[in-house]
Amino acid sequence: MIDKAIATPAPGVDTEIVPARGRVVKSKWTRDLLTFLMVFGPGLIVMVADNDAGAVSTYSQAGAQYGTHLLWIVLLLLPVTYFIQEMVVRLGIATGKGHAAMIYQRFGKWWGLFSLLDLELVNFLTLVTEFAAINLALSKMGVDPRYGVPIAAAGLIFIVLSGSYRRWERTVVFLCLLDFAWFFIAFRLGPPISQVVHHALIPTMPAGGITPELMFLVIAIVGTTIAPWQLFFQQSCIADKRLRFADVKWARLDTLLGACITITAAVCMMLAGAASHAHGFRFTDPAQMAADLGSFAGPGMRNIILLMMINAAVLGTTAISLSSAWAYGEVRGWPHSLQLPWREAPGFYALYLLSVAAAAAIVLIPRAPLQLIILGVQVLAGVMLPSAIIFLQLLLNDRELLGEFANKPWNNWVNWTIIIVLFVLSLILAAQVAAPNLFPTT
Amino acid sequence: METIKTNNNHFVVVHPLDDVPETKVDIEALGPMPMTRSVRLSLLSLRAYLVLMVMLVVYHVVMLAR
Repeated sequence: MIDKAIATPAPGVDTEIVPARGRVVKSKWTRDLLTFLMVFGPGLIVMVADNDAGAVSTYSQAGAQYGTHLLWIVLLLLPVTYFIQEMVVRLGIATGKGHAAMIYQRFGKWWGLFSLLDLELVNFLTLVTEFAAINLALSKMGVDPRYGVPIAAAGLIFIVLSGSYRRWERTVVFLCLLDFAWFFIAFRLGPPISQVVHHALIPTMPAGGITPELMFLVIAIVGTTIAPWQLFFQQSCIADKRLRFADVKWARLDTLLGACITITAAVCMMLAGAASHAHGFRFTDPAQMAADLGSFAGPGMRNIILLMMINAAVLGTTAISLSSAWAYGEVRGWPHSLQLPWREAPGFYALYLLSVAAAAAIVLIPRAPLQLIILGVQVLAGVMLPSAIIFLQLLLNDRELLGEFANKPWNNWVNWTIIIVLFVLSLILAAQVAAPNLFPTT
Repeated sequence: METIKTNNNHFVVVHPLDDVPETKVDIEALGPMPMTRSVRLSLLSLRAYLVLMVMLVVYHVVMLAR
């Protein structure tokens, strides 16, 4: 098989058959690097796209309200997000199918439809927030959203219509790498490194103690860092890219690298918020925060933050719309691959197009309270996450399905701990909504 | 596919999309996962919990909007 050709030297024959586009290399080091670069993509994209417009808003709000006090929570989410997505990697490679198809086929139609409904609902609401953020950022840059938003939507539709997974992946990886601009922003605006390290490594409580607002924000941070769509997106992406059993370790590395980049970028967003907090600005939304920061750091800084906000929204939109289109296509049995031209997968592309166009259109009609919608959607995602992970956990213990790729006992310990923590957080949310005075300030 | 001349001291690296598709688990043949009554009940409770939580979040957001 070809995967042997990747893992081992060519057998002692003078002639062998390799696929037309195979690359011949001489050293093991080059082989590993090249294999990694070929496998690289889904892990980075799912992680960086997770820092979407809602994430920019939630992290910068956390920084603007609580300074650097919540950095430790973000850092704590690094292993959590990696462990969850690593399970998706194994499931995707072992089965070659998407997550929605897996739930549908292993748990039956009833559960499959419920999961699909949850996903499509939260995804669509999230898409609205992505375009609301584009709208907001464009307005602050002096660009008329009536033109800017449709252009952004058209660009998002254009990048998937090439009929080539590789072209889409290269474009999106390029957009992901632009996220490094957050490091520059944090470097220019952030507080002293000693304060950052202290609050990142030593858990501290902000002044005011545990309040309903703090708990709501913490759940929103968790909800934005680990979102249900990520499970569906990465597994479908792996299936579409046709990753092989031999690619597991490289796909894990891709996911780990993506997790490190996204968490570091999240920390940088929080530091930008903390800078506005330190200068006494009141947070309303990230676009206003960019304007506030620009008032002392210069218009260049304001524009960089606004462009990064648009980039985050564009990344989020393509990933979330694709997760919806892939999931629906899998459940309906439609052709659903970025490798197919639109004529061969009309339903798949139509759903993507419809999601993007409808979300963009909604944003252009009313003046919605953006910050509230974003926070609400993140909390909704946080609430729905435990049940999505439970399905994942059950599937990963399905030895009939996964064989050697099934969870080990330590995986289960880690995952049940994550699930319990997520449930406790959502119960706290329920308690504070039912009894708002449950958490008095200290 | 094409045939190329190679020797012993090399490796061939192939992009997953250019490779021959691997045989994966046949999920259709496996059918639905066997679930005990307690697992089924737990999943139903989970669904009820989720519906309740979504209603609470919507209520909270509406209250914040006022």
